[in-house]
Amino acid sequence: MSMQDTPDDAVGRRHDDRSLRERIGAALRSRVALGVALLLTLVVFWILGQRNGASLSDLLSLTVWGIMLGGIISLGAIGLTLVYGVLKFPNFAHGALVTLGAYGAFTIASFLPRGPVLLPFSFGWELLAAMVLAMPAVSLVALVVDRVLFRPLRQRDASLVLLAMASLAAAFFLRSSIYLIWGPDFLFYYPGRANPALHLPLGIRIQADQIFVFVLAMILVALTWLLLERTRMGKAMRATADNPDLAQVRGINTERVIAWTWVLGASLAAAGGVMYGLASQLRPEMGFWLLLPMFAAAIMGGLGNPVGAIVGAVIIGIAQQVSSSFINPAYGPGVAFVLLVIVLVLQPQGLFGKGGD
Amino acid sequence: MIHTCSRPIWGGSMALLDVQSVTAGYGDTEILRDVSMQVRRGEMVSIIGPNGAGKSTLMKTIFGLLHPREGKVFFDGDDISGLHPYQIVERGMCYVPQVSNVFTELTVAENLEMGAFLAKKGDISARKERIYDYFPRLKERRNQRAGKMSGGERQMVAMGSALMLEPKLVLMDEPSAGLSPKMVGVIFEQIKKINDSGPAILIVEQNAQLSLQMSDRGYVLASGENRFEGTGEELLNDPEVGRLYLGG
Amino acid sequence: MEPVDLARASFLFLPLVLLGLLVFPGRPVLRLLLAVVAAAIVALVLPLWLPRGILTYLASFSTMAGIYAILSLGLNSQWGLTGHVNFGVAGFFAVGAFTSALFTTKMPEGALAAYSQQAFGLEWPFLAGVLMAGIIAAFVGFLISIPVLRLRTDFLAIATLGIAEVIRFIFQNERWLANGPQPMRGIPRPLDCLFADPACSWLPARVANWLAPLSPRDYVFFYLVVVALIVAVVYLALERIARSPWGRMQRAVRDEENSAAMNGKNVTLRRIESFVVGSFIMGVAGAVYAHYVVSIDYSHFNPLFATFIVWVMLMLGGSGNNKGAILGAFAVWAVWSGAAFVIDMASPALRAISADLPSRGAYLRWMLVAILLGGIVLFRPQGILRERKKVSDFLPKDE
Repeated sequence: MSMQDTPDDAVGRRHDDRSLRERIGAALRSRVALGVALLLTLVVFWILGQRNGASLSDLLSLTVWGIMLGGIISLGAIGLTLVYGVLKFPNFAHGALVTLGAYGAFTIASFLPRGPVLLPFSFGWELLAAMVLAMPAVSLVALVVDRVLFRPLRQRDASLVLLAMASLAAAFFLRSSIYLIWGPDFLFYYPGRANPALHLPLGIRIQADQIFVFVLAMILVALTWLLLERTRMGKAMRATADNPDLAQVRGINTERVIAWTWVLGASLAAAGGVMYGLASQLRPEMGFWLLLPMFAAAIMGGLGNPVGAIVGAVIIGIAQQVSSSFINPAYGPGVAFVLLVIVLVLQPQGLFGKGGD
Repeated sequence: MIHTCSRPIWGGSMALLDVQSVTAGYGDTEILRDVSMQVRRGEMVSIIGPNGAGKSTLMKTIFGLLHPREGKVFFDGDDISGLHPYQIVERGMCYVPQVSNVFTELTVAENLEMGAFLAKKGDISARKERIYDYFPRLKERRNQRAGKMSGGERQMVAMGSALMLEPKLVLMDEPSAGLSPKMVGVIFEQIKKINDSGPAILIVEQNAQLSLQMSDRGYVLASGENRFEGTGEELLNDPEVGRLYLGG
Repeated sequence: MEPVDLARASFLFLPLVLLGLLVFPGRPVLRLLLAVVAAAIVALVLPLWLPRGILTYLASFSTMAGIYAILSLGLNSQWGLTGHVNFGVAGFFAVGAFTSALFTTKMPEGALAAYSQQAFGLEWPFLAGVLMAGIIAAFVGFLISIPVLRLRTDFLAIATLGIAEVIRFIFQNERWLANGPQPMRGIPRPLDCLFADPACSWLPARVANWLAPLSPRDYVFFYLVVVALIVAVVYLALERIARSPWGRMQRAVRDEENSAAMNGKNVTLRRIESFVVGSFIMGVAGAVYAHYVVSIDYSHFNPLFATFIVWVMLMLGGSGNNKGAILGAFAVWAVWSGAAFVIDMASPALRAISADLPSRGAYLRWMLVAILLGGIVLFRPQGILRERKKVSDFLPKDE
């Protein structure tokens, strides 16, 4: 879709009578400049890492882990960007859907018979089944929240701020439900089960689970892309995101499109939560911590643009992981935030966003 | 003071669209007051009037984007006042808005498909081919994003999407707005062609001369009330209409 | 009436006068008279009527609610006045709290230094700490506002949420700055020698005798006076600002940004100014909080306690209305505190549902506040008190 966007370098070539300062400002705010700035940031992170004594294979491993992390972030970011596109508000409750997916799968898996470990991975079929079941469960929660909270606001044409505020309320409601049901302690899908790293060429160390997470994320992303590009409902989603009024005029039942958007977004969020939980552990705040990277990825890719969100997520994943070679890993979300600020300052429309110049 | 030239038969099978004494508006402001009008099958009807006369509001009220406070809208014998737009589209009425009437991020072909969102899946490509026959230019550009097209081409996309469902009635809101004089001619020719092929057309136009010339009948709307109605020719020749609304 | 109660009553007098001034209608002189008489009566009746423990609880409740009122006023000066959606209240609150702590504490020495680290400790007096807290928070707000305030509302909300998180991460992870993940302890309480035995040496004997029956546990009565005064100062300042030409301009920028810009107003500068003013006030609130609780760490400044609940307060009280901001702070804090009792009482019933539930009762309060916000957004988005569109004192009211 908007991937065909030609980068807007016409700004520089256009015959113009603006002052040099204005022209430099405009050039700095173009999409190319944003891409270059993001790339430079990654390069700087690499150099900083090397200065701090990280070896080349360490940095390569970190980069690969970053791509894996990007896969997880992208699952959340796609949902965020779709909801943003179709419903036109930042959904602060999206992180809570991620958490809910992880915990929901935990509970579902505990009811399923435990199968053999699928070597070289650390999990069995039951976790995959639990994930598949958690996706509709979380979708249902999202639909209920929409029906109770967002739909009345939508019908009243409520302002963006009120919708954002409502999503904040939903976020805290879901988070407190998670605390109430599962408690504040960390949980593990498979406590104590190790997943030793595989040794790949170039000295890259990586866990089989991480590869699985990435591959699964990419499969889901590809399916989402197919859905959006090839199916009637997917095209209707894009149409509604593009122009909600016209979508109504064309006879598209926008409430149904919105419902499917929630289902898609929540399912991907739930899957992302399970993978995040598999890669680390289950914490009630895990989704909230992902919220900032997800928003950063969605904005970086251009709000409403799923393909952009994936690119943004991978950039942010790499930046977060590589940055841990020279600063405290706890600052991961902070790194996402810095990238977000770069995007907002240079080009708030993001790398592939529509409109603006 | 309605200056009646030819009185259509009320309701009945003759009127495809029957607007009965509709009052509507936004918030506290009332824009339409007691407006009645009819469109018969296959007819082309123009609504003309000065800026702010409520022409677009009338369109939106007919199409369910705005609900009438009083009065009723009948389409093909059914009361459609209070229905959602998609339910109205289902019944065979389509609408071409004046501005942002294409999905800029979607390709031309996808735009047309969205026009047939309510149609059965099988025959969509046949429907598309039919539209391409009307507008060969769209066929050449079917994989281009609509946002990258010129004003006239966008108007074709918009009209084409509205025709995908083979509606009984097409509402058009200022199809000539913002187009070059040459393009206006082309578009109106297309509208005439569409009308000849079946569907009734209700058109709102600033370009009153041209649209009245082509229309079977017309209504003059001013300050939210209908003031004159008659055949296109009658209105064109009516000295008062001419003085007030046709600029001469 | 015993001397203890009388001494406690004397501390209640001033906050009650201020409360009276806030709620009574009428002309200034009449209001003052009414407020003084009512405050005197209530201050004397309350200690007689309520058990001592309850009265102490009420004082500490009002102190916390007062601190939240400052935060809520600060948020109102951003959202209510100029329409900034700041989802990062916690960040400015934290900056204020840690700044004041650093400026007023003593640098840890000797064995203590091994356990407790901080960037510096200047032992400045309380008010200087509060002022610095405001200034540093305002400075942080200024730095942030330059890149961020040009943005659309939704981006601003996301960015400020991020800022608060980053600030919390910094205080959590940088041990050298403010003892990292460990709490920063020993933040001095202003004039706490009033309640010590022997009392401060400079105190006149009569006052010392008056205060003698009070124990350090009664310190909260004095701090309530401090908080009430600060709330009053912030409130008056904001009311003045709102009626000044500058305040009118801010509202113009909020409601009609384009026309304000076309009238030659520097919109960006205006927006930055109001953001900085709000950050200052939030910083002050942080300092007042730090000196009240004595020991702070990063976990106090999480999004729930320091951002979300403040928004609920302001939304409930009425965005754009300073009285509403204060009212909302007290109302929501009452719900929050009251819920603790209710949940405590309901714990047998909760245990019947699940054995884990009573220990997780705190999260029921979260849920309650979330439902409260949802309810406000759905049913009364304008809050209890509507914004008064007061343009000038010289024009008749438009209501």
